[in-house]
Amino acid sequence: MSAICEQVDAALAGSRPALARLLSIAERSGPELLEIEDRISARVGNALVVGVTGPPGAGKSTLINALLPHALKDFDGVGVLAVDPSSPFSDGAILGDRVRMQGGEYGSSVFIRSMASRGELGGLARAASTAMRLMDACGWSLIIIETLGIGQVELDVMNLADTTLVVLNPGWGDTIQANKAGLTEAGDVFVINKADKPGADVTRTDLLESLSLLNREPPPPVCQSTASTGDGVAELWTALRDHQDYLEQSGQLDSARAHKQQLLVRRTITHQLTHEVERLMDSDLATSMLDQSTLGQLDLRQTVDRLLRELARPRG
Amino acid sequence: MAKTGLDGHWRGPTIVARALRDAGFEVIMIGMANTDDIVRAAVDEDVDLVGLNVGGHIDVAIRAVNSVQEARPEVPIFAGGTVPPRSVKMLQDLGVEVYPPGSQLADIVDAAQRLTATR
Amino acid sequence: MKKQDANLVIETTSGIELKAYYTPDDVPPAHRSRARQAPGEAPYHRGFHPTGYRSKPWRIFQLSGFGKPEDENERIKFLLKNGETGFIMEHDRNTADHCYNVDHPEVLARREDVGLTGAVMQSVRDMAICLDGLPVDTSFGHAGGAVVQHAPFALAGYWTVARKRGYDLSRIAGTGQSDFNLTYLGCVTKQQIPTDAGLRFNADIIEFCAEHLPRWVPVSIAGYNAADTGLTPDQELGALFANAVEYLDEIKRRQNMPLEFAAKGCGGVSFRASIHLFEEAAKMRAARLMWSDLLQSRYGLTDPKTANLRIHCVTAGSRMTYQQPLNNIVRGTVMAMAAVLGGVQSLGVSGYDEALSIPSEHAHQMSVRIQQILQEETNLCAVTDPLGGSYYVETLTATLVEKAWAFFEQIQQQGGYLASLDSGWLHAQASENQYKEFMAMESGQQNVVGVTCATEDETPFHVDGFMGTDDAFDVALERLKDIRRSRHEAGANAALKNLEAVCRSDRNIMPAMLDALESDVTLGEIGDVYREVFGDWNTPIQT
Repeated sequence: MSAICEQVDAALAGSRPALARLLSIAERSGPELLEIEDRISARVGNALVVGVTGPPGAGKSTLINALLPHALKDFDGVGVLAVDPSSPFSDGAILGDRVRMQGGEYGSSVFIRSMASRGELGGLARAASTAMRLMDACGWSLIIIETLGIGQVELDVMNLADTTLVVLNPGWGDTIQANKAGLTEAGDVFVINKADKPGADVTRTDLLESLSLLNREPPPPVCQSTASTGDGVAELWTALRDHQDYLEQSGQLDSARAHKQQLLVRRTITHQLTHEVERLMDSDLATSMLDQSTLGQLDLRQTVDRLLRELARPRG
Repeated sequence: MAKTGLDGHWRGPTIVARALRDAGFEVIMIGMANTDDIVRAAVDEDVDLVGLNVGGHIDVAIRAVNSVQEARPEVPIFAGGTVPPRSVKMLQDLGVEVYPPGSQLADIVDAAQRLTATR
Repeated sequence: MKKQDANLVIETTSGIELKAYYTPDDVPPAHRSRARQAPGEAPYHRGFHPTGYRSKPWRIFQLSGFGKPEDENERIKFLLKNGETGFIMEHDRNTADHCYNVDHPEVLARREDVGLTGAVMQSVRDMAICLDGLPVDTSFGHAGGAVVQHAPFALAGYWTVARKRGYDLSRIAGTGQSDFNLTYLGCVTKQQIPTDAGLRFNADIIEFCAEHLPRWVPVSIAGYNAADTGLTPDQELGALFANAVEYLDEIKRRQNMPLEFAAKGCGGVSFRASIHLFEEAAKMRAARLMWSDLLQSRYGLTDPKTANLRIHCVTAGSRMTYQQPLNNIVRGTVMAMAAVLGGVQSLGVSGYDEALSIPSEHAHQMSVRIQQILQEETNLCAVTDPLGGSYYVETLTATLVEKAWAFFEQIQQQGGYLASLDSGWLHAQASENQYKEFMAMESGQQNVVGVTCATEDETPFHVDGFMGTDDAFDVALERLKDIRRSRHEAGANAALKNLEAVCRSDRNIMPAMLDALESDVTLGEIGDVYREVFGDWNTPIQT
């Protein structure tokens, strides 16, 4: 048995260090990914996944921390995947979610993992997807994924979730125009956090107005909370549960999961192809063809066709 | 990166975290953390290196070091903070690299790269 | 020092470009007439009293404390014997800052740390031990309570002890701190009441003191903590006054007391004195000018008594080096001189072992000696505002005022001082400066003697940090058990219930806090009430 498979088996048997190690492997998006996916596939599909997104500083981590005690009444284990952006200059990152989300008081029933977005182009979504499936397979029955709702890449991650919670603050409408539409479309449940600050009512009206334009049926609930005191958090948890019940009863959970599976396959193919293209472009063949192309001895179509044929050729 | 004490001077850890990020590290800040918090993060995050900001009584830092070394014996630890010379010695005896106030950021970043080179 | 290019651009910490020399033409026109004024004339940048230190030398006021309350008591007595002219009670930060008793899991996890940063005081009984034999009636005492949520407890404890010893509270002079810069910017705690609750506490303290303790400085805004976190001197000034207007606007909104009293209450502040001698001295002058301007323009207050800004100053702890610690005696002296040349009313000098530990007895004594030498031997006290009229210093003063108001405005644009803390905007400013400062040292642009240059060390005097006592935790735990055993339980419970009800109302918290202390309610129980009622502040982490 390969080392990876041994790790997976250990993780499936409940080893936290093994799960942690596998999550690192998933983050690197290396060739072991398919091996991991193979080994866990039979065990995946039991967890409910809640995505939490919203602008920076909306209080997402604090809110998740406040949701944990409620969630642990309904689920015996909660996994949290907290995604923060990588620096575009150094590829490094500072991941600060654990400062607000220690989970220590819940002992072994909470597993928190920080993840840097590491560039774009769906790589994040793919790593997050495998990470989520790993946690799922290892028996974490509720998984919460947190990302910044600032761009398409982050919102893409929300496709992994059964229920997406969008966290906003009073005054939201004035500060982030850019991705307002993306956020309102992404959410299944909305919460105006820091509702004790002035402007909560205006924001609520503003949000309800934006949502009414989308004509969604049933209209998504809009909750209010103050995560720092715990006010409104129990009600928010109920709203999240109600949405999950609705998904199950309406059969949407199954169709949504089929859609997710399709996205996963598509992403995996794209990812593999990208690797193959990289390898091809590094080959002697590509180098010599590029030289000819630069000298004008080959036109673009000829070059591309030849290389595509090479890509499709089965390797022995 | 964790702070073992409850006295909230954040100066050192934030500057070091920033320098490490700029050198390409992914730095998981866990803030003020007790030994259990530190060990849990070191395990669940599958870290390659543990950075401790220590101050106050050296026994608190030593307890954190011992626990991390027990849970993740292969993971190196480095530390900084208000550590008088005799405490520096105690930490070094446990295999911890110590960077007291006045250390150069470049040296700290070099250490992080060196300590994680084989991982 | 290496020879430098004469055309090299040299800037102050606030980014003011310095000329090689100054002439009358450099002084900004609007400031020229002010430079001709005498101390005692508005806008007071030259000081409030023409006779300055001749009539009242600055107070020698050292932060002190560790271990058990009796250890701290002993150290304070040592300092008073050595010439300190006021005293500061320092509470153990593990317990005090978070309002935890020593049996809280977070404290248990760090039991050896307990007592290292101040004495453990969980009840009024502990404070009585700490204050035993100290001159609370004749001296100026600092009750501690640096962190906002701890202040009502610390003050009520001090006052209860004073009252039990038969003193009339209306005659007691002293201060606490209850500082936002420390609590929410400089030393962010693991757990803290949100800023709006903090504002309410401070306004309650200001109102309570106006009614019952007119000689007490109710809150003390500490620019120090903003500066040592990275704000430059102009930003330190701007943030301090942005903080002050939050208090004054709140008092004005409540309409419970005359605004003049509140202005007096907010007018005891602290600044950091760092190593750029003239800029730091100019900062103290600028502060007085700004306060008088602010009170007049924003609140219409012109009474000189109200405009009298009293400044406590502490030398920059972060400037003290770990390497060659004895060099810090010189740094402490230069920074102390900056404060004194700026005309401050009270001064604490960091211990030379600051970068290693809390001050040893010898380091503490040296901090007092530095000040005594300045007071007794140098003639510094002979002339008020000795820098007044210097083209350079007047220009610096005027430029700092201008830059500080610009920063004040920036904070207003962020929604005010509290909003700039909640959002992390101020933290980002401070952190950026810190990073630059660090990089300047790293690149050799800024030398630090004994650290980045001149590193040969021949000292015969080995400094290895002071580690206090090792029985602070055990004794505190024993005393906690003892108070639970021996107090009148029903009375304590009733007082705690009442405190909780008051916290949930908009009534002033201080009477209920005094009752709670009187009834032997402990710190951790009060903290639990806060956590239940106010919740936890959402720390804006810088990433």
